Amino acid sequence: MQMHEERIYLDNSASTRVDERVVEAMKPYMLDTYAVATSDFAYTMGIEAKEALKEAREKIAEKLNADSEELIFTSGATESSNLALKGVMEKSNGDHIVISKIEDFPVLKSAQKLEKKGYEVTYLDVDEEGFVDMEQLKDSIKEDTALVSVQHANQEIGTVQNIEEISKICEEEGVLYHTDATHTFGRLPLDVEKLPIDLITLASHTIHGPKGIGALYIRDGTELQKQMDGGFQENNLRAGVENIPGAVGFAKAVELIDEEENERLKQMRDSLIEGIMSEIPHTVLNGPEEKRTPQNANITFQYVEGESITLHLDMRGIAVSTGSACFSKSLEASHVILGIGGDHERAHGSLRFTFGRFNDQEEVDKVIEETSEVIEKLREISPLGEGEEV
Amino acid sequence: MEEGVKMASSKKIDVLGETCPVPLVETRKAIRKCSPGDIIEVVGNHPESKKEIPMAVEELGLELLDVKEKNDQWRIKIKIPEDD
Repeated sequence: MQMHEERIYLDNSASTRVDERVVEAMKPYMLDTYAVATSDFAYTMGIEAKEALKEAREKIAEKLNADSEELIFTSGATESSNLALKGVMEKSNGDHIVISKIEDFPVLKSAQKLEKKGYEVTYLDVDEEGFVDMEQLKDSIKEDTALVSVQHANQEIGTVQNIEEISKICEEEGVLYHTDATHTFGRLPLDVEKLPIDLITLASHTIHGPKGIGALYIRDGTELQKQMDGGFQENNLRAGVENIPGAVGFAKAVELIDEEENERLKQMRDSLIEGIMSEIPHTVLNGPEEKRTPQNANITFQYVEGESITLHLDMRGIAVSTGSACFSKSLEASHVILGIGGDHERAHGSLRFTFGRFNDQEEVDKVIEETSEVIEKLREISPLGEGEEV
Repeated sequence: MEEGVKMASSKKIDVLGETCPVPLVETRKAIRKCSPGDIIEVVGNHPESKKEIPMAVEELGLELLDVKEKNDQWRIKIKIPEDD
């Protein structure tokens, strides 16, 4: 049964609709130039494939102000972060790594895996808006620290970390710095000439590019242990036939993003936060008001379960996500909301709205209206009531 | 039976012992698989779901046929509208 023909998709940090221009750019590398990238001593189609890969790498590296030799393609942000953390630690003499408590799972789980293997991990606290404490960071770095990994911005609450200061601290202390830029690449400036960042995780599917492709920026001279064994592709750091259509699509997606679009997302974000917070009582903004990604709004609705809200909004044609996970695979409340000092109730009532290229203000107005109705009705039947703060 | 015409069917979902939002999730799953004219009967005992399922029925533009309660158990009958 078809529920809704017109859907409003506000889960763009989970993934985005691929831009048609990206699809068009990819098509020739699936239908015509489908060979693997070869050396110049092989057949024409392979040489053309190699040139396309080179061009894609250059376009993406340019966005970071990096040399294209410093960028390797991976299967996505998860692989990039796994390679960064495990690759550095396995190659380094140091056995201590520092991450923040609210990292996304690829960094968090990689660190936990390293911990099980005997490495020492320091989990940095964050304040109520999600910011890492610089003094704690400085104090945590010791002689055997090899790597610090603190994300550029948070996946759930949008907090943009002060990576300028973090990278400088790491440079002064002589440790490598990795940042997960899955939710900022293309959306916020990132310049490796200006900032001493050694490794950066990049994603394609969060900026209207294809899934199954990502990249890792590796500053020249940074040593990594290869994790995916096989051929010698990607500077002998990541084996496997190159995903040339993916790389071309990723590069096109990067090319299509501009400041005007980011400003538009920011306006929609602010309009939604303002509308919901003013129209719906007992709401709490998760994350900072100012230093947050242009696409992210995260709000807790007290006295209601996030999963119920998500289900009812979906039945009204609106897709959002929740930090509540009573019935999801993880069976745990959001570690991010808990990390900023929220309790389980705050996590369970939280909703994340994330914007993308294909949203507009008319949709924002509709979402405010529908969310108000859903929350009002759910609170009427909520067993939590309104008498008690949650 | 006329060839090519699908008969409406009736489906029963047992969510006894389940709490929010499972009864709604199971009801929604059943609705997605239904055809126009089908009737779904949901049986459960979680008090909030008894209110939440009719709310969902309205949101989806379906027909709420009946809500009955006896001995802390409720039964909700939903009809998928016929095509115009």
